[in-house]
Parts: sequence; C-alpha cells; structure tokens
Amino acid sequence: MSRESQIAEDAAAWIDRLNQPAFDAAAGPDFDAWMAASPRHRAVFAEMQALWQSEALVEALGTAACVPAAAIPPAPRVDRARRGRGSAPRLAAAACAILVAILLLVPMLATTRYRTGPGESRTVVLADGSRVDLSGDTELHVRILPWHRGAELVRGEAYFDIRHERSRMFRVASGTTSVRVLGTAFNVDRQSPTRTAVVVYRGAVEVGVAGEADLVLHKGDGARVVDGQVTAQPRIAASAPEWKSGWFEASDVPLAVLIGKVQRYSARPILLEDRGLQVLPISGRFHISDTDRALQAVEAAYQVDVAYGKDAIAIRPAGGPGNP
Amino acid sequence: MPATLPQIDTRAGEPAVEDWRAIAATLSRYVRARTSRVDVVEDVVQETLSRLVHQGRVQKLVSIYALGFRIAANLLVDHHRRDRRYVAERAEEPVSQAPLPDRVLVGREAVAILRDALDAMPPLRRDVLVRRRLQGQSCAAIARDLGLSPKAVEKHITRGLADLHKAMPGEAIACGRGR
Repeated sequence: MSRESQIAEDAAAWIDRLNQPAFDAAAGPDFDAWMAASPRHRAVFAEMQALWQSEALVEALGTAACVPAAAIPPAPRVDRARRGRGSAPRLAAAACAILVAILLLVPMLATTRYRTGPGESRTVVLADGSRVDLSGDTELHVRILPWHRGAELVRGEAYFDIRHERSRMFRVASGTTSVRVLGTAFNVDRQSPTRTAVVVYRGAVEVGVAGEADLVLHKGDGARVVDGQVTAQPRIAASAPEWKSGWFEASDVPLAVLIGKVQRYSARPILLEDRGLQVLPISGRFHISDTDRALQAVEAAYQVDVAYGKDAIAIRPAGGPGNP
Repeated sequence: MPATLPQIDTRAGEPAVEDWRAIAATLSRYVRARTSRVDVVEDVVQETLSRLVHQGRVQKLVSIYALGFRIAANLLVDHHRRDRRYVAERAEEPVSQAPLPDRVLVGREAVAILRDALDAMPPLRRDVLVRRRLQGQSCAAIARDLGLSPKAVEKHITRGLADLHKAMPGEAIACGRGR
C-alpha cells in the first residue's frame, strides 16, 4: 500500500472512531498525536471529515440506496475449492444477469400511473399502505420497491399521507424539486414546470432542489420553490389542504398559477394568452372548484375580461382589442 | 484563511503557538470544504479556537482536535439555521437570495462524482456506507444485519471513505498520490 493510501485509510479509520456515539477517551491522545505528526494527516482528515458530513454524500448515497441490498445474499461466501474451476465465474455471470434483469424489470413493473381529468379527484392507496389524494387534472407516477419508495408528480396537485417506515424513505419529485420523508402528511402542488408549493400537515419533510437538501419543514410549515429557489412561506393552521374543499388561498401568486388551479376543475380549456396577465400578482381566497365563481371573482377584482366561448374560456385584458 | 491568533497567549500545559497554527489551519481547511462563504469560514474558525482555549483552561481535554472538529461542526449548523431564517424573512426578494451559481455547480458535480465512485464499489461496501451514513445504523447493527464481523464492517467503511475521498478532485489530488 502506498504511503498516501495508508494515510487515507488511517484518516478514515479515525473518522469512523470519532463518529461513534461514545468516543473512547483513551484514544484521544493517540488521535492528537496522529494529527500532530504530519500536515498531510491533518489535511486528509479535514477533507474527509467534511466529505463524510456533506449533503453531497447523503444525496449520492440516497440514489445508491436504490441498488437492492435485498438482492445481495447476506454473506456471499463461495466455496471455490469444492466447485470445479470455471463454474464459479459462470455462476457469477448468471447471477449478474439475473441481478441486471431484476434491476431493469422491477422498476418498470413497479411503476404505477395515476391520472385524473379536470374536475375529477381520486384517492389511491399505495402498495405500502400510504394514501394519496389526487386533485383534478393530475398525473402521478408511483414506484414502490423493496428498498425504495418514490413518486413523481408529473402535473397537478396531490396530498400525501405517507405510512411511516424507518428504513425506507419516501421521495416525491416535482420537476427539480424533491420532498423526502419517512412518514408524514403533506401536500405538493406543481403549479408550473418550474414552480412547486409544499405544505406539511403532520411530521416533517425535507425539501430540496436538484439533489441538494435545502429546507426542513415541520407541521404547519410551507415552502415555495420557484425556478430552483426555495423560500419559506407563512405558517398555516389548517389540518388539510384547501383544495380538498375546493378553495385556494392565493398570496401574491401569478394569475397563470391561479388559472392553472381553476383549470384542474374545468372541462373547458381556459385560455390566458396575454403575457402581462400571466404574471399579474393575485391575492385572495378563490373557490377554484367552481369555475364560474372563481373567474367572476378574478374579473371583479382585477382588470380582466372573461369571455365564455362554446369550446373555451378566454381571459383578456379589460377593454383590450378583440373584446366584444 | 491566515491563522491569526492575537487573542491566544500560551500558558503552561497548553499547545504551543505553532500547534495552534496547525489547529487553526486544519479547522479552516475543514470549514472551507463545508461552506463557500468566506465570512462564515473566518467566524467559525475564530470562534472554535476561542472556545477550545476556554475549554482547555476549564478542564483537561481528551483530544483537542476531536473537540475542535465537533465545535466547528456545531457552529456550522448554527450558521446554516440563521441563514434559513434570513431567507424566510426576506421571502419576497428571491433574486438577492439565489445561491451563487458556482456553488450549485460544485454541489451537483460533487454528487455526480460521489455517485460514480459509489457505483464502482463492491455492492456490499456501498450497502454498508448507506446503512452507516444515510440510515445512521451502528456498526454492530450493520454487522448483525449483513452477517459480517464488526471488524469487516469497519474495514468496509474505512476503505469506502478512502475511495470516496480519492475520487474527489481538488487539493487532495494537487498534493499528489505519488503516481
């Protein structure tokens, strides 16, 4: 072993010892002596300790955890002496092939797609016993594997009541936003491809963007992720998300987001083509499950015209061209 | 960060000034690897040193380095929390709070490198690391669950961590592996 790799292994061994719940007092002077012995010892230890505690490692291990430990025999001891020469490699190759097949097939078979149309809502119970309430015009892909639980919110909004499991984390992805939990109840609202809102109703979750853990939310906390930027939101006291009763509390959200939510309940497409209106900040409480009422409220409070066509509803600036 | 230690006057039984320099440089290297904010690095290192000096005068330290790393880690957590609150208070000014692009890049790059290094490991070693770091299992529990000896678990963690460190670019490589 080269000197450098010996240093690395020694440093790693010290990190492991230091991170035990009880650091053996007798080892203290030895550790200080090892550190004092060489600047290289100190440098490698400092870097390695930072690496061991880094979020990057947690994230990388989180994806590595998808590799099935269950598929590996607990103590793979092959008695080579007794088997004929050449059969061990063949067996290993066969085992690899089977493992690859499992890795490729299981996720495909295990992905379940749930969809709701506009105005529809639906409650599903997942294979692990967790419950998910889907809002209108929502699509959710769920994968429950022996070593991993995950869901992707492709569009729309869903309320998750996740069954607690100590060793199997549940991860919800919405665009680049991800929510990680062990067991809790929370709501994820994919308002646009780059905008997601999360509110926690029980327990705690971790919200992150592009693999970086960013914010831990506890019961009553909410967060908004817009273009990869996480911001905490004012605390809420409700015990269930508002959309379940057909309401939406808008606090300075673009009109396009509100219309997107109204659209979840409306079979007729709602057209909002004016760029200025799309980003118009809206505040207020809207009865989104009642399309006409919600749009009337918008029309009354903001400078917009709502035109009800046979196939579509169009929202335009008030008094603008093209209005009847 | 240069090791500036104006407030530390050495007394009998305490580390010499050169030792303090070494401690400061080591802690500084550790904190720099954990945050990209220069002001935080300086704060955390100075505060850690002054607490070490204070602790050392109150009681005999088991290990000055072990305690130093623990204090620095706790201070980093405190800083992190304070930043969170700051972001929450200024929720309506997202632009000024956007993470520096280079930091995000480094973070994602690091994840990708570590992921590759993990993929290259024997599955059993990877599993041991996942259990130890991600799931917080004790070495004894891992040994029991996987049918390994405690010594073997230790070896997997040590080798695995050394492999991960080797995969990371930066000063570790600049200083050479003698190849």
